[in-house]
Amino acid sequence: MIITRRATVQGLGLGALLPLMPRLALGQPANLVSRPIPSSGELMPVVGLGTWITFNVGDDPVLKDECAAVLAAFFESGGRMVDSSPMYGSSQPTIGYGLRKLRYPERLFSAEKVWISDPTRGTAQIEASRAYWGVETFDLMQVHNLVSWEEHLPALFEMKASGQIRYVGITTSEGRRHREIERVMASEPIDFVQITYNILDREVEERILPLAKEKGIGVIVNRPFRQKRLIRQFEDEPLPAWLDETGALSWAQFLLKFIISHPAVTCAIPATTRVDHVRENLEAATGILPDERSRRRMVDYVEAL
Amino acid sequence: MSDWITYRLVDFLMFSPRVYYRLVERYNHDVWPLQIIFIAGGLFVLMLAVRRKNRAIAFPALAIAWAFCAWQFLWMRYAVINWPVSYAAAAFLLQAGLIVVSIRPAGAPPPAVRLYGGIGLMLLGLIAYPLLAPFAGRSIASAESFGLMPDPTATTTLGAVLALSPKPPWLLLPIPLLWCAVSGLTLWALQDPGAWVPFASIVATLALVLLSRR
Ligand SMILES: NC(=O)c1ccc[n+]([C@@H]2O[C@H](COP(=O)([O-])OP(=O)(O)OC[C@H]3O[C@@H](n4cnc5c(N)ncnc54)[C@H](OP(=O)(O)O)[C@@H]3O)[C@@H](O)[C@H]2O)c1
Repeated sequence: MIITRRATVQGLGLGALLPLMPRLALGQPANLVSRPIPSSGELMPVVGLGTWITFNVGDDPVLKDECAAVLAAFFESGGRMVDSSPMYGSSQPTIGYGLRKLRYPERLFSAEKVWISDPTRGTAQIEASRAYWGVETFDLMQVHNLVSWEEHLPALFEMKASGQIRYVGITTSEGRRHREIERVMASEPIDFVQITYNILDREVEERILPLAKEKGIGVIVNRPFRQKRLIRQFEDEPLPAWLDETGALSWAQFLLKFIISHPAVTCAIPATTRVDHVRENLEAATGILPDERSRRRMVDYVEAL
Repeated sequence: MSDWITYRLVDFLMFSPRVYYRLVERYNHDVWPLQIIFIAGGLFVLMLAVRRKNRAIAFPALAIAWAFCAWQFLWMRYAVINWPVSYAAAAFLLQAGLIVVSIRPAGAPPPAVRLYGGIGLMLLGLIAYPLLAPFAGRSIASAESFGLMPDPTATTTLGAVLALSPKPPWLLLPIPLLWCAVSGLTLWALQDPGAWVPFASIVATLALVLLSRR
């Protein structure tokens, strides 16, 4: 039982003290650049939405509504992929709250993870996640951070075969265990790989992105802003005079356009708590994308800052 | 082949400062005025230590504080946004149990340095802690008080058991000390200006134990 304000005051018979308590500071989407998921051809807008930290708001009604507003703006702007994990605290129920409020937008592409070392408990965990989201099935189920992947993957392929999920993937972040990721990509029929890629963390350009292209594996990019550190690092610096050739209007878009212009990338999933930011991020998937020459200029420019 | 060394402290932080302090504000709001009742109980324990008598009745008051904090804050609220805290909730309940089994009829008083140092720690936990919020640039609605929030509960208890026990209370020190370390690191990752306070409690406790060794 959680003790509520009402229960406390009534239990103590102290209604008169209540006022002494300090009060609580209390359409039609634009055409987004989309890429086909290599294993199916299904089109995916190149900017999605992450939920690590940003959607972990517990049962705070104000913050839950703020997250629901972010989701609403995301779908209104044409977004599809929403990524979460059982590791992210209360993010899953927050997504479920927002989706219920929005009556489950049709364009939702649900990307979840299984994250449990005991492989016999994978199915139960996926079922718990499904109940939190309130969806009938997940579109994509990924093995989070390669945890017990040898055991989880066969189970996920079976779920895919029986129509309980549509795609299977694996994830890592910040450059961890890339050799192992490559082995999985080379030997398992996965649909997606999720890795970290941004203008300063480009190691995946060498082997993982080319391998994904070769094997027909979709690429989801996490930590596009290094969890906001890139924005903080650059926000006081001037944007380049040749910004036009990138198609970006802000630093956030500059950083996102760099990622999504890589031809192997299917979708980048920046997380945010703010409606204006989610709109700005999805706007990065409109207009022009930098070409190879501009991409090199972008790297040179930020490295010289 | 461990990639643990590639993680930084902030990588373990799974919620934002805003979410955490709003959680504390809402909790304070829900349980008001228990803050006053718990602090009054804590001051009663302090008085028993000063008067050096009837120390046995101080222990149930401390046990209730640990159990309440474990149940209402750690388990029902904080663990919702920070799942590793469910283990801390179990540790807090264990500490409540350890306090109960440690109840002894009054024996010889502790050495003076431990008595007065312990009383100082209790004053930090009972009086200074609730006032820290405004100094850390937060609203008083997110004030942390003994019995409700883990940090002042741990600090007050460290002070109380040092001031009340004739011998160093070895059994009752590990859980509060460990909590202070976890909390200090969490606050540090949250870039909270009050992050040094739990570390100060650890240093003070260890110093008092060492200084009072005869
Ligand atoms: N191993 C894994 O599977 C793994 C690991 C890491 C991440 N991920 C996934 O990838 C997602 C993204 O990574 P991340 O959340 O770590 O970091 P991120 O997306 O690089 O950064 C998120 C931060 O960027 C800020 N931001 C977003 N849009 C902005 C804008 N337009 N202007 C200014 N600031 C902006 C947000 O702050 P505001 O709230 O102020 O906008 C937020 O604090 C995660 O949420 C998660 O879903 C998966």
